[in-house]
Amino acid sequence: MSDGDGLTDDAAPGAEDRDASEPPASDGTDGTSGGNGTDDVWEGDGGDGTATDDGTDRPLDPDAVDVRELTGPERTLEPPVRLVWVLRAALVALVLGTVVGAVSIVLQGPAWLGPAVFTALFVLGATHAHLRYRSWSYHVQADSLFLDRGVLTRVRTVVPYVRIQHVDVSRGPVERGFGLATVVVYTAGSRGADVTIPGLTPGRADELQERLKRLAIAAEGEDAV
Amino acid sequence: MRLSPLSIAYGAGSTAARLGWLLVIATFGSTQMPGAGPRLGAAVVVGVLALAGLYQFARWQRFEYRLTDDTLDIESGVFSRRTREIPLRRVQNVDTSRNALQRALGIAAVTVETAGGSDVEAELRYVTEAESERLRTEVGRLKRERTREETGDGATDEGAAADQPAEEELFAMSPRELALLGVVSVDLRLLSLFSALVPIIAPSLARSAADPLFSLAVAAPLLATGLALVAVVASAVSSVTNFYGFRLTRAGDELRYERGLLNRFTGTVPLSKVQSVVLSENVLARRLGYASLTVETAGYAPGDSGAESAVPLARRERVVDLAREVEPFGEVAFERPPARARMRYVIRYAFVGLLLTSVAYGIHRFSPFSFAWYLLAGLVVLAPLGAHLKWRNLGVAVLEDHVVLRGGFWSRETTVVPYYRVQTVVETQSVFQRRRDLATVVVDTAGSRGLTGGDPRALDIEADRATALRETVADRLQESLRTRRATRRRARDLLADTAD
Repeated sequence: MSDGDGLTDDAAPGAEDRDASEPPASDGTDGTSGGNGTDDVWEGDGGDGTATDDGTDRPLDPDAVDVRELTGPERTLEPPVRLVWVLRAALVALVLGTVVGAVSIVLQGPAWLGPAVFTALFVLGATHAHLRYRSWSYHVQADSLFLDRGVLTRVRTVVPYVRIQHVDVSRGPVERGFGLATVVVYTAGSRGADVTIPGLTPGRADELQERLKRLAIAAEGEDAV
Repeated sequence: MRLSPLSIAYGAGSTAARLGWLLVIATFGSTQMPGAGPRLGAAVVVGVLALAGLYQFARWQRFEYRLTDDTLDIESGVFSRRTREIPLRRVQNVDTSRNALQRALGIAAVTVETAGGSDVEAELRYVTEAESERLRTEVGRLKRERTREETGDGATDEGAAADQPAEEELFAMSPRELALLGVVSVDLRLLSLFSALVPIIAPSLARSAADPLFSLAVAAPLLATGLALVAVVASAVSSVTNFYGFRLTRAGDELRYERGLLNRFTGTVPLSKVQSVVLSENVLARRLGYASLTVETAGYAPGDSGAESAVPLARRERVVDLAREVEPFGEVAFERPPARARMRYVIRYAFVGLLLTSVAYGIHRFSPFSFAWYLLAGLVVLAPLGAHLKWRNLGVAVLEDHVVLRGGFWSRETTVVPYYRVQTVVETQSVFQRRRDLATVVVDTAGSRGLTGGDPRALDIEADRATALRETVADRLQESLRTRRATRRRARDLLADTAD
């Protein structure tokens, strides 16, 4: 929970001494590979950082945002998200299984049809949930957010920070039960609401929201459309 | 400022017209009631009219708008008040529309759109025609002023000339083009569907014509064909009346259009807000060497079709030239998806054909309707042809400042997206695509078309190529942002220097 909080507080410029330590301290939970990713990203886009240096009088000065500190390596979701998905699959399987079972009994078909449908759907759903978890990753890069996910259809999305309109953190009742939260990133694009990152701890979600906010400011989109 | 007082009368009249059926029932009902007589009916009519007039008067009185130096302020609402300020810098489009009655009364509805929200941001119903013209030019002028202040470009002494830029005609539709539009705009998919259905249904017609029991079975397809013909004629008529007298002009950095026979529409599209440019040609237009052009901005809500049409129909070369005027893109050389993508479509279409054939057979076998179901098997034979046509019309081209995406056989759409306008880039790969090592890249902009289907995308390109394309588009976006920022900074520095 508290892992991201330390980061969100410091927006101080010139944090040279800090870039060695990986900004998202929460990485520990997933054991992702150290700071290499950050360094690569930063070196590749050094020019970008200087280009934004031309500050305007905004409430939060783009100069004050250190892009280097906010980017991170590729991250995965929290493992409990699988349970949320499995539960959802179980619910669907239960409904369909009941319907098929009821119909089968009414039509004097075999009594095992309902449970069989339930079991088959549940196994499929659970497998899908597991594979989905394994396929999910997101990456806070220097100038865009990159998402990679999908089991049957693999989807990779690039969301440039300049285009971010606002960022929501939402927590449904089931997610709350498992101590999870979802980050939703809105752009002006027609697929705007498509960009959601589920299965984060509330701390991680808040921290990501704050980070994206700062990155969007640093990107200094004069007109997000 | 107030709306035109005539809008009270017009509003009350249209409310009464909308409630017309209710009034008819009331009048008719009252004559049936003993002791009521036609007087009650008349009283109801007068009462409703008076109420509508009263409401419209209150609406008029409580509606006020003001154009300040940098905002459009609107106060409105009879029961719940609303105050709205629209920053002029954010305005995307200003449109006016006048139907026949409104034209007779000399009033017009003005709508102002910004990118946010799905609704129109400001709707002034109704102002006088002179006022609508004033609003349009004033919003344009103030917007230019604000933009100039901000970017600091353009010396102040030539401001007077820039305030009223000369209007230059880009395109005016000739009667020939209008007539052609009526023919071409007919949805060919409808026609081909019905021409395919007729021979299949015909045997069943001939057989059952003798049997009076099957009169419904005879009547239904005939009726359907008739309805389709009516729809075809209606679509032709509607496109002709919609685009009658179409004219497109350019004044400085704005495009202006006017069109319509009964309903007259005029509007402005700021070039600086153009998200993408779409060139569409359906089969018929393509054969004849014609095309149409639409300009997309972020303002319009989905379903506002035609509103942003820049050129309804013109010779292809002409349309391409006009498109370059809006978005200066270079020579386009399309690359097609690999041939194995075509194989995917062959299999897909053949599968659909087989499915339809088996359904038709099922109906033939297990229902009293019998018809030449086997003719549907012809679809399976046609699958390779369809696949080839689909494949042939796909294409993607990566230019210096734009990415160009093309697709569609029946209605081919070529979308030119400036990198600077890209919102998100999405690369997808389904199970079937993975088997053939293909992938799709969707380039999303804030344009409105995406919501009605048909996202600009590069379908079924080589998987490696898709990844490269995704990265290229994202990188070029950042590059173009950097260039823009640098230009703006230079302009500001220049201004600061001259001020010193």
